[in-house]
Amino acid sequence: MSNTIATDSLFSADERDALKILVGMIIPASAVHNVPGADDELIFADILDSAKANEAQIRKCVEHAVSSGLGDGLPLEQVLPELEGHPVMAPLVSLVMQCYYRDDRVMVSLEVEPRAPFPKGFEVPQGDWSMLDAVQKRGKIWRDV
Amino acid sequence: MSVSSDIDFSPADVLIIGAGASGATAAWNLAETKMRIVCLEQGGWTNPSNYPTTGRDWESRAQSDFSINPNRRQQPGDYPVNDDDSPIKIANFNGVGGGTVLYAGHYPRFHPSDFKVKSLDGVADDWPIDYGDLEPFYAENDRITGVSGLAGDPAYPAKQSLMPPLPMGKSGQKLAEGFNQLGWHWWPSDSAIATQPYNGRDQCINLGACIYGCAQGAKASTDITYWPEAVRAGVELRTWCRVKEINVGDDGLASGVTYFDEDGVEQFQPAHVVIMACNGVGTPRILLNSVSEQFPDGLANSSGLVGKNLMLHPYASIQGVFEEPLDGYRGPHDSIWSQEFYETGEERDFIRGFTYETTRGRGLVATALTGVHSGRIPWGAGHHDAYRKLHNRIAGMVAICEDLPEEHNSVTLDPSIKDAHGIPAPKMTYSISDNSQKMLDFAVARATETLRAAGATDVIIESPLASGGWHLMGTARMGKDPQKSVVNEWGRSHDVKNLFIVDGSIFVTSAGVNPTRTIQTLALYITDQIKKRLTHLFD
Repeated sequence: MSNTIATDSLFSADERDALKILVGMIIPASAVHNVPGADDELIFADILDSAKANEAQIRKCVEHAVSSGLGDGLPLEQVLPELEGHPVMAPLVSLVMQCYYRDDRVMVSLEVEPRAPFPKGFEVPQGDWSMLDAVQKRGKIWRDV
Repeated sequence: MSVSSDIDFSPADVLIIGAGASGATAAWNLAETKMRIVCLEQGGWTNPSNYPTTGRDWESRAQSDFSINPNRRQQPGDYPVNDDDSPIKIANFNGVGGGTVLYAGHYPRFHPSDFKVKSLDGVADDWPIDYGDLEPFYAENDRITGVSGLAGDPAYPAKQSLMPPLPMGKSGQKLAEGFNQLGWHWWPSDSAIATQPYNGRDQCINLGACIYGCAQGAKASTDITYWPEAVRAGVELRTWCRVKEINVGDDGLASGVTYFDEDGVEQFQPAHVVIMACNGVGTPRILLNSVSEQFPDGLANSSGLVGKNLMLHPYASIQGVFEEPLDGYRGPHDSIWSQEFYETGEERDFIRGFTYETTRGRGLVATALTGVHSGRIPWGAGHHDAYRKLHNRIAGMVAICEDLPEEHNSVTLDPSIKDAHGIPAPKMTYSISDNSQKMLDFAVARATETLRAAGATDVIIESPLASGGWHLMGTARMGKDPQKSVVNEWGRSHDVKNLFIVDGSIFVTSAGVNPTRTIQTLALYITDQIKKRLTHLFD
């Protein structure tokens, strides 16, 4: 699946490699929480596919990361501060979050049912309406004209 | 395929521009006259089965084809809006239903005091009509729309509620605890969301993404409330028709409109009466584009006030982070509101006031982006633990501040940007007044107190809310004096006696609440005035 998408990708092999390192740096896998990183094959395939709608900006993010030392053999901890929070990276951060947090494994780890909201919807408790008693006791607060 | 051959271009009795909140309401109310009514809408019908919540990628689509910002959305019905000179960015929807397709369904009325700002507080102007004039039309609009809430709100004169309120949920209850600790007002929000089956619409099932379209059909957007009835009653709704200008005859009356049809072909639709329902940006845009020898500064603009006095409602977003899990994105945005600081307080350093509307939590993606952009969720190994401190644990409120009219806040025609049909785009020039800034600061401080009282361990603030340019008001204001207003007290242009405006552009002041219920109520009021005066409408 990932090979097919990679073939269709508008990014070069080098760009894809850099992008994969980058997204894995933003959200790495966690054994503690039993979740993959954003560089997981399925999630990365989603990122590549979704990046097509915003290709120019994502490419700019990759270029910025590479120019900041990504892929030069520098430890990621050294590159990360150069990139984290940089405005030019915002489109990629948005894309990574969109793809990562709709992955089944990630949603399940957060105890969220992996499905669209419609048509099942959700249950929401009514709450305790007797809490309004205090408000009613104060009486009218609107202004006469 | 050309569709123009099927179109009846004989004169319409009434031509309505725009099929949104006010256009739908006006069409419905005039339909009983049996006049030939044509409505031109620049967008199309939306299919609820295509709304974002029907898919797993709903949060992504909220940032793309269902974004509230037309400059980002860029759908065929949209036109660009230059909002570079405004700290608050445009939000709208262009299609049948207009902004109601993407609104939250918050549905407060104005208060009696909102129509008397000058008399009460010495600022801005009084409206030429008052709450009592509109009260029966509020009730009629409520009946068609279907409003949920709870009667007895001490912040309002008595009004009925047609359906039970939306659930408070864990989030609403948490915030209510905060308000109660401080002894402040709160009440279930009036909402244009059905909490039980209503007029063929099913009840809310807490999808949690009302502002991206309600796939359930519980939210009262006018494409599923007023329009079906209006169309059944004989109103012709022509979609994908973008109006370029309103034409005038030698008699100085509007003769019809020039528009581009679905095929991009320029057409002329003659009409005896033209009603504008294009919102506070779209209406001045068309009027300013309607230049003629008789009206060199734009139509209906002898006062020079077309496009002036733009009001947007500066918003502040104040969100608390709580230790225990709350509702997350489950449930409609609407929950409870507080109008503790709605009326002018002598002890405060600003005039007028605001409403707090509580918000439930955020979707998974929105939570991540909130955390990352505010520095609360880092990149790298710490990401997951930090994310879990916010997941399902954010709840808070927005403050909707009353914006007072200022002439320098305006809609003009952009000198270079044009839409897909070559029509000049509107440009918003807007700054937040000193009064509004003080109000925002006060609202943030008091909301923070509320959240802390409710147990929040952290507070996330965005003020002003940059994306919140939903409410577009004041750019063709109503009044009795033709030198100080664009339309009279029943919505007719002072200059062009067969031209009416029924959208938010006629607001004299903005109040501190969402405007849609009052926009629709005004549309009923104005079209009722038209019906009563049909025999002497142009006198």
